[in-house]
Amino acid sequence: METNVSNYQDQIYHFNGLWDVPSICGLKIIKKKDNAIIIATDLFDENPGTSITEWNTKLAKELCDKYEIDYNQLIFIEHTPDKKTKLSFNQESFFKVDFDIEDDKFENPQWQELTKEEVDNLITE
Amino acid sequence: MKFQLIFPKWRKLEGQTTFNLPPHGAMVFAATIPDYVEVEFIDENLEEMRFDNDVDFVGISMLLTTQIKRGWAIADEYRKRGKKVMFGGISTMLHAEETMEHADAVFLGEAEGHMEQVFNDFRNGELKKVYNHMNDLPPIEIVGPARRELYKRDLYYHKGVQMLDLFHASRGCKFNCYPCAVSYLGGRKFRPRPIDKSIEELETIDNNRLFIVDNSLAQDTQWEKDLFKAMIPLKKKWCSHTIEDKPEVLDLAAQAGAWYVYQAVFDTSDYIKRRVKQYHDYGIGVEGTILLGLDNQTEDDIKRLIDFLLEIDLDLAEFTVLAPFPHTKAWTDLRKQNRIFNYNWDDYNAGQVVYHPKHMSAERLQELYQYAWDTFYKDETQEEKMFKLLKKVVSREIEDGTFRKRRQDLSKTSFGRNVKNKIA
Repeated sequence: METNVSNYQDQIYHFNGLWDVPSICGLKIIKKKDNAIIIATDLFDENPGTSITEWNTKLAKELCDKYEIDYNQLIFIEHTPDKKTKLSFNQESFFKVDFDIEDDKFENPQWQELTKEEVDNLITE
Repeated sequence: MKFQLIFPKWRKLEGQTTFNLPPHGAMVFAATIPDYVEVEFIDENLEEMRFDNDVDFVGISMLLTTQIKRGWAIADEYRKRGKKVMFGGISTMLHAEETMEHADAVFLGEAEGHMEQVFNDFRNGELKKVYNHMNDLPPIEIVGPARRELYKRDLYYHKGVQMLDLFHASRGCKFNCYPCAVSYLGGRKFRPRPIDKSIEELETIDNNRLFIVDNSLAQDTQWEKDLFKAMIPLKKKWCSHTIEDKPEVLDLAAQAGAWYVYQAVFDTSDYIKRRVKQYHDYGIGVEGTILLGLDNQTEDDIKRLIDFLLEIDLDLAEFTVLAPFPHTKAWTDLRKQNRIFNYNWDDYNAGQVVYHPKHMSAERLQELYQYAWDTFYKDETQEEKMFKLLKKVVSREIEDGTFRKRRQDLSKTSFGRNVKNKIA
């Protein structure tokens, strides 16, 4: 099934990554009553800087602060779009990332792979 | 002022022929150091370290991840003796935060245009912990010739035969390959050096055989053709990573002295077969580079791939296992899948499996890696195949009058150490 990247991306977000290198990712934010979902899409070939996976602790905090999302209500998802090659590592993937949050610092990311259906369910439920 | 520039040693892969090429990055860096500084270079792969020498400032140039722990240990020793130590180079950038714990200064980015400031800071006792120039790449035009006069030249000979000199004609890479960190290190924009600057530097190299170390020359056809055209009169012989397979490019490359090229072989397709044949048709040898352990490879795939290599008449093959170097997609993917089980950087030598492969155990991939080397070189050893390639280049050199006889005074040494000749 072909993936429509725009389902998971409403804007391109610019951030300063590792060593202040200008970086970009796709971004979709869904605010709901009990939680807020941030989907950050890795734009490998277009991104001149740091990947979302390498910067997820800083990026998640930055986005929560900027879009007024309660840290404890955050569901942070890393999305890698399908690059449409025959190589398996270029296929689409979704990972939910949990962080330990201490003194307003996001640390120790733990990844859990989700299916596309699970992501869609999270968005719509 | 004396500056000790050090290239740390690393553990070589077992069973493979070791050739020590003169390190390039350190000499490119040395070219950016102000004139008032006296630089001494130590390649620890070939020389013993000495910590009691009379130096003011120490620089450690690190290329490989497998080299960094040794680099840190050297720095720790010097710092115990009260010397200031600065780190730079590729693996410094890959491991910057860890390296800071062993450094007085860490330089990130490309050195051109920045060393006057760094050395001034040192002299004023104001060395900064980090010089972050990752986002501030210098104009490519100011990249100058590497300071090759700093090599202890006699060390880079094997039985009287001089090793290749390294040279680079561009920086950055527009590709963003799964196991590679170059786009993080040098940016995603291909930055070719002006042709006249490259030629100017090539003319200064007192060696007819070169390794052009650019990640890929196949990034701008016109520049590639112009470079090869300009190289023809120099009569150098060289190997390099990928070049384009367009007939007009291959023709110019051959005329410019292309000796052999590295070709990644990732499947058993006709595309690869055709490409190897195309290189051979132009008299250019091919060393296949084969990365084992990708997620799309099963045991059978790897065995089929090795059989295929024997069919397509490669001149040489180099096998590696995937090493998830920091700041690569391989690193981020494997980390989030929790598949990396070994974070000992000494083992990140592309010969040791440090992660769980998708379709087999780590132990099985390790065995297949050995099987690949053993099978490919079963009938003809790596040294024998290399000798065949060497004979080809010698014939061409004899034809164009550039052949240099081996140095008799070094015929019984290999990289500075005495060797015993085998008695038949």
